[in-house]
Amino acid sequence: MNSLLNAPNKPPHEGVIDVSTFVSALQKILPVGAVILSKEGQRPFECDGLTVYQQLPLVTAMPETVDQVQAILRLSHLHGVPLVPRGAGTGLCAGAMPHAEGLLLVLTKLNQIVHVNHKTCTATVQPGVRNLALTEAVAPFGLYYAPDPSSQIACTIGGNVAENSGGVHCLKYGLTVNNLLQVTMVTIEGEIMTLGGAGLDEPGMDLLSLMVGSEGLLGVVVEAKVKLLPRAPRVQVLVAAYDTVTAAGDAVAALIGQGIIPAGLEMMDHLAISAAEDFVKVGYPTDAQALLICELDGTDAEVEEQLLLVCECFKQHGAHHIRIAKDAAEAAALWQGRKAAFPAVGRISPDYYCMDGTIPRSQVGYVLTRISELSQFYGLRVANVFHAGDGNLHPLILFDASIDGELEQAELLGGDILTLCVDVGGTITGEHGVGLEKMPQMPYQFGDAELAQFRRLKAAFDSEELLNPGKGIPTLKYCQEYRSLQHG
Amino acid sequence: MGDLTVQLEQQIQHAYATKTPLKIRGGNTKASLGRETSGEAMDMADHSGVISYSATELVVRARAGTKISLLNDLLAEQHQRLPFEPPSFAGEATIGGTVAANQTGASRPWFGGVKDSLLGLGLINGYGEVMQFGGQVMKNVAGFDVTRLQCGAMGSLGLITDVSIKVLPEFKAGHTLTFDMTIEAALEAMLKWANLSLPITGMSHFKGLLYVRLQGGAGGVASASTFLGGEKLASKAAEIFWQAIREGSFLQPRHDQTLWRWSGASDTLANTVPNTSLINWAGAERWVLTEALDTPLEGLVQYQGGDRLAEVYGAISAPQQALQQRIKHAFDPHGILNAGRLYAWM
Ligand SMILES: Cc1cc2nc3c(=O)[nH]c(=O)nc-3n(C[C@H](O)[C@H](O)[C@H](O)COP(=O)(O)OP(=O)(O)OC[C@H]3O[C@@H](n4cnc5c(N)ncnc54)[C@H](O)[C@@H]3O)c2cc1C
Repeated sequence: MNSLLNAPNKPPHEGVIDVSTFVSALQKILPVGAVILSKEGQRPFECDGLTVYQQLPLVTAMPETVDQVQAILRLSHLHGVPLVPRGAGTGLCAGAMPHAEGLLLVLTKLNQIVHVNHKTCTATVQPGVRNLALTEAVAPFGLYYAPDPSSQIACTIGGNVAENSGGVHCLKYGLTVNNLLQVTMVTIEGEIMTLGGAGLDEPGMDLLSLMVGSEGLLGVVVEAKVKLLPRAPRVQVLVAAYDTVTAAGDAVAALIGQGIIPAGLEMMDHLAISAAEDFVKVGYPTDAQALLICELDGTDAEVEEQLLLVCECFKQHGAHHIRIAKDAAEAAALWQGRKAAFPAVGRISPDYYCMDGTIPRSQVGYVLTRISELSQFYGLRVANVFHAGDGNLHPLILFDASIDGELEQAELLGGDILTLCVDVGGTITGEHGVGLEKMPQMPYQFGDAELAQFRRLKAAFDSEELLNPGKGIPTLKYCQEYRSLQHG
Repeated sequence: MGDLTVQLEQQIQHAYATKTPLKIRGGNTKASLGRETSGEAMDMADHSGVISYSATELVVRARAGTKISLLNDLLAEQHQRLPFEPPSFAGEATIGGTVAANQTGASRPWFGGVKDSLLGLGLINGYGEVMQFGGQVMKNVAGFDVTRLQCGAMGSLGLITDVSIKVLPEFKAGHTLTFDMTIEAALEAMLKWANLSLPITGMSHFKGLLYVRLQGGAGGVASASTFLGGEKLASKAAEIFWQAIREGSFLQPRHDQTLWRWSGASDTLANTVPNTSLINWAGAERWVLTEALDTPLEGLVQYQGGDRLAEVYGAISAPQQALQQRIKHAFDPHGILNAGRLYAWM
């Protein structure tokens, strides 16, 4: 970890672990090659998508079966070794960053699609299955898996469950939590547990939903049963250009307020539009201050009905250019610019830092104006790409980590954006999770009673705090140190 | 009507100090659900009222004792609706009880359950601490999802004080088609049609008829209707039918009857759940009304009637039982909140 901002976050386990006994027991459980001890071998795993936070683990394990996962958890439990689950490592909150004295459990080899039931529109998959691989596998049945993070080519279903990931189609079809029927998990004691079921609502407390978004702190997901959706007969994509972000923001609020819920409704600001256009050249209007990308889906009749209303609403709110995709290829191109927005911004700056606050839609104009003021104050550029329909912002802070102090400035700016989101009634994270990164903002969003309740809940699953320690939920001590840091 | 948070907080703090069991009650419409329990009454009906409603944000926030019927009326003024179509039980059901008992109507497979519309809630735990989880925004993954955990918990983890719910626009058009079909044929038809991306918002089978409800834009509904065929039900009759489905009024058990609920995959064969009286949710929910009092049906929940001191929700695995007990303890260490309502051991 390079920055000092997270300094109060010390690993809770400072007891002495008998490393050699632990490792040799691990090697007995797993085949040769599935236990990685060398620095070079573990280097690819030292961080997730938030690369400024790095840490090598004690040891990395790559199980191939659920039995092996169980055995590894039992062993970690027995020896008191911290354990960090990891999928593809595309997370953006340092959630999968290894623990210096711990085991990194890489789940990508559990990558089987166990069963597809095209009649009930469900699939049972192992956690290492890539998000896009699932959608591709069910495409022959005319089905798809709705939550589609921009990282879908790489990220895993296990990681999606752990983060409650969303995507550009979540406005209409929901996040991971809304598309999941059942999860099989392994507890820190190595016990298998099934949450949810084949039906839609099982009796009792909703443990399945609790598991979603729990960031690897409560258990390891070893199987998930997800809902699939039939492909709509017609999909229509259009983009609309605006002179101000406020006008585009108002158009979004008006459209939703009118009762039209598109399948996707995304917004990009000028800097993001230019970066994306330079990168993928899909014909975005680079003179626009804001661009809305809207997708409608349904039967022909439904889409035609909605298209008229959407165009009318967009124009009323000052769209000076509306482009309606003529065919699937053009629709894909229009989406490509949005989906490639992060890497596109990566090309115009040595480093960028992606935020993930969510705000009420009515606050979009105000918050974007405040962000641009903050951007000027810190002297760092900010590109905005976001799930406008949901009010989920992704301000991308551009900085250069090789310049002394710029990372810290970027973190401070990011922290200010997150607290701004909380101030207007929103949250510090809409879909990327807290991980290690947003620990400092947790005491800002939650009071002591809520945080203590989270900790007791964590203890009900993992009393020794072995699962992904130091992430997601700050300890009491952490909060006290954080607050004295803020006020001191 | 008003904000009774302070009184409620004090009542729970007192109960915590004296280890007094409390029995939470909203509109008292769900007394027949869950296990029979005793305890000092904790009435929520007066802790009511809408805290905020923004039609353009599609969010309503109301105190737990607010009646579903009141919310429905309020939303209808703005041409909006509760997406999960909860029962209002003669206008008495409250939103808090609805969340705790996880009550969802016919549109469940298409518009989701309570958890899919629930954005946040206020909770007083068994220590008497007032807390807020989630919020009023559409996406929020900070901290554990204590909000959705409450769905179906029957008040055993805390007293829900207020809820924030995502609402949706009313449908512009809709009608219901009926088809003369056996259970077997209906199950097959429902499976097939659910696969077709049609504007379906309800599929139920009752007394030899399959009912298919279409709702959406006028054009979409009309074309789907032509495609499906069947007999068009008069709009008044359709309204009465779906209301009865939502309110559970077709299958009210007499005192010597038991109503069982089956939940599972929609392609499960008819004979797996013998003597099904009603099918809902395109086959994913089935109901069986039996005369006998005490014969538990394997894999079915003893929904209403019969011995209410039995484990009406059935058994769960030993490790999960232990986990749920630890979770209960994390929220309610003295076990004062609706103790035994869900399971005898909780
Ligand atoms: C370019 C880019 C675009 C992105 N776009 C989006 C987007 O549009 N929407 C969005 O929501 N996210 C997005 N993300 C973030 C990221 O892709 C998601 O959070 C994703 O779900 C992480 O999956 P993963 O397999 O990479 O998980 P990892 O990063 O490996 O892990 C994420 C967390 O899950 C835990 N975990 C992983 N597997 C398991 C398991 N089997 N059991 C228990 N815990 C587990 C880890 O401990 C960690 O805390 C984006 C990331 C990038 C780099």
